[in-house]
Amino acid sequence: MNKDIFVVIEHRQERIADVSYELLTKGYQIAEKLGGEVIAVLLADDGDQMAQSLKSYADKVLYIKNEIFKNLHSEYYCDALSSIIGERKPALILFGHTVDSFEVAPALAEQLGIPIISNCVDFDIDGDFVRATVPLYGGKINGEYSFNAENGGIISVIPGAFKVENPQKSGEIEKIEFTFEKEYDDKEFIEFIEAAAGEIDITQAEKIVAIGRGVKDEENIDMIKDFADSIGAVLACSRPIVDAGWLPKERQVGSSGKTVKPKLYIALGISGAFQHISGIKSDTIIAVNKDPNAPIFKVAHYGIVDDMFKVIPALKAKIEEMK
Amino acid sequence: MHKLLIKNELLGCIQCGRCSAGCPVSLRTALSPRKLIYKNLRESRKLPKSQDIWSCTTCRTCQQRCPKGVSVMDYIIGLRSYQVERGKIEPTMRDALESILKHGNPWGRPREKRTQWIDDETDVRILSEGEETDVLLYVGCTPAYDPEIQKSARALAKILNDADVDFAIIGNDESCCGNEVKRMGELGLFEMLVEENTALFKKYKFNTMITISPHCYNTFKNEYALDFEVLHYTQFLKKLLDEGKLQISASIDKKVVFHDPCFLGKQNDEYDAPRELLKYLLTDEDNLLEFGRNRERSLCCEGGGGRMWLEVESESPRNAEIRIDDAKSIGAEIVATSCPFCQLTLNDAVKTTKSEDKIRVVDICSLIAENKFEETEMEE
Repeated sequence: MNKDIFVVIEHRQERIADVSYELLTKGYQIAEKLGGEVIAVLLADDGDQMAQSLKSYADKVLYIKNEIFKNLHSEYYCDALSSIIGERKPALILFGHTVDSFEVAPALAEQLGIPIISNCVDFDIDGDFVRATVPLYGGKINGEYSFNAENGGIISVIPGAFKVENPQKSGEIEKIEFTFEKEYDDKEFIEFIEAAAGEIDITQAEKIVAIGRGVKDEENIDMIKDFADSIGAVLACSRPIVDAGWLPKERQVGSSGKTVKPKLYIALGISGAFQHISGIKSDTIIAVNKDPNAPIFKVAHYGIVDDMFKVIPALKAKIEEMK
Repeated sequence: MHKLLIKNELLGCIQCGRCSAGCPVSLRTALSPRKLIYKNLRESRKLPKSQDIWSCTTCRTCQQRCPKGVSVMDYIIGLRSYQVERGKIEPTMRDALESILKHGNPWGRPREKRTQWIDDETDVRILSEGEETDVLLYVGCTPAYDPEIQKSARALAKILNDADVDFAIIGNDESCCGNEVKRMGELGLFEMLVEENTALFKKYKFNTMITISPHCYNTFKNEYALDFEVLHYTQFLKKLLDEGKLQISASIDKKVVFHDPCFLGKQNDEYDAPRELLKYLLTDEDNLLEFGRNRERSLCCEGGGGRMWLEVESESPRNAEIRIDDAKSIGAEIVATSCPFCQLTLNDAVKTTKSEDKIRVVDICSLIAENKFEETEMEE
């Protein structure tokens, strides 16, 4: 069995996705275990700069150049990758489990006739076998899957599964000018549309500080925004705050707003109407409310019955102290 | 010409504008039924792609006011259904529909928690297949899951027990009635629910079904082909009162105004039963006030037509807030209603208009239960 780990680099608008660095870190650990190398596979058109920034994370950067790679085209990606992989036979090929790899990874596995486990949160190599953990039923349970990796295999990993560490390598860059034998004209890349500036996607936030009517006045929002920023949280709210025009609609949590799934949800001055609560799917809910009978305390894991304007400065001071 | 235009008699439209003038959301959104019809007939016979149709609360005011018998609301629902078929629906509504398909309720809650509204003090029989009861209480999704509305379900159960009514519920097998599903334009899912619910009801023997929500009542009564009587709970309690099986003694000496739910009033012509019940509760009948816009002219609270899962962009106050302001201006202290959605939207409006110390929004069955079982608490 070969020992090298290929990480297929995902990029958009000449920016490398975070998941690629996560995979390089994990790939490095696995390659070390196998006594092989971690190789960043970059398919790009104008990728010199990206290749440079990958150097410290990989033993080698395989920069495959063709103008087609400016944007994702899965057929060309598959053809190029299967030709390179067919030649060099790495132990494993890693992808981020993202909309880009949805199109490429399974098709590539089929083209090469090798196994794939997608949607993983963790994996390891154990002799000839690769074992991977895959969340099922919306993350309620985990499944363990494995395949025989004698002839290689593909793993696609959910972004955010691994921490990034820079091993400070200085991998060489091997540049290959790639030419295609086959043309695909059945689909083309039309346009890249940037999300409108200023829009915050609260559904992706890991920490949320949410405010309700208890905030009382628009002027008080700045202070809570400060608090949210200090703990790296995103500001959200219940419906009355949007109605009052204090925060835009995209910040509203609830059945007529957004459903959020942060690790931490701090509800400040929110009474906890059912229509608000149905939008919270959080591991930890902390509620601060003056009214001990507020329904929010029925769903909160921790509750503080007090004036939020007394609690927040105290909390903020404590957090600063711990930093 | 599209069949939707023919089916809903659009060609009869004389552009008088009574639909738009009466439309409760044309006050605060761009929706104008008259304009919609005009454009559809005059400019293009294809179906309009307007997104304004999603503001509609399906209150039926337009259809009721039309002097030419144009089915304006049905036309709007029809337009929605064509958008839904092409996948054009707001994510919040889509999630509610998906939850109904998966869990039998729009609130994303598990099926097996449908009976959790029943607390230790509430005595409710859950039917097993083949069992018999005189009255089937169809609880409905919002009274089953929303902690605030669960109180209405418990109050009603208490009243029925006290009046010795032989009643029972289906339990966790109960599923969404589909009233909102149909109005959001998901006609396929609605048909499926009709089939499943009809088959479910056949597993039990009962004479009368009563519902807590006028929305459930409306669809079971008018859109299913059921072989039993369907009543809204206010109608049923009124009947018990007339038969001498329910006693209510007058104990409320506050000024009360009744907010007509669209699906009980405008859509099913029931204006009197809830008012009769309230009269029994009041120490002085003159304390039963009326809104300027009442009965068939009642201002919709914007809770229907799937709007519980969709916000519309508007600078103007919500209708529910207008309603609470109206209640204050006529001197009401209690806004009584008999619909879970009205209760929720009006209650929110009490909070946002900072009227908590002036106005209380409450369901009639909760008022009756308080009157019968917790008289002392009422005094506070």
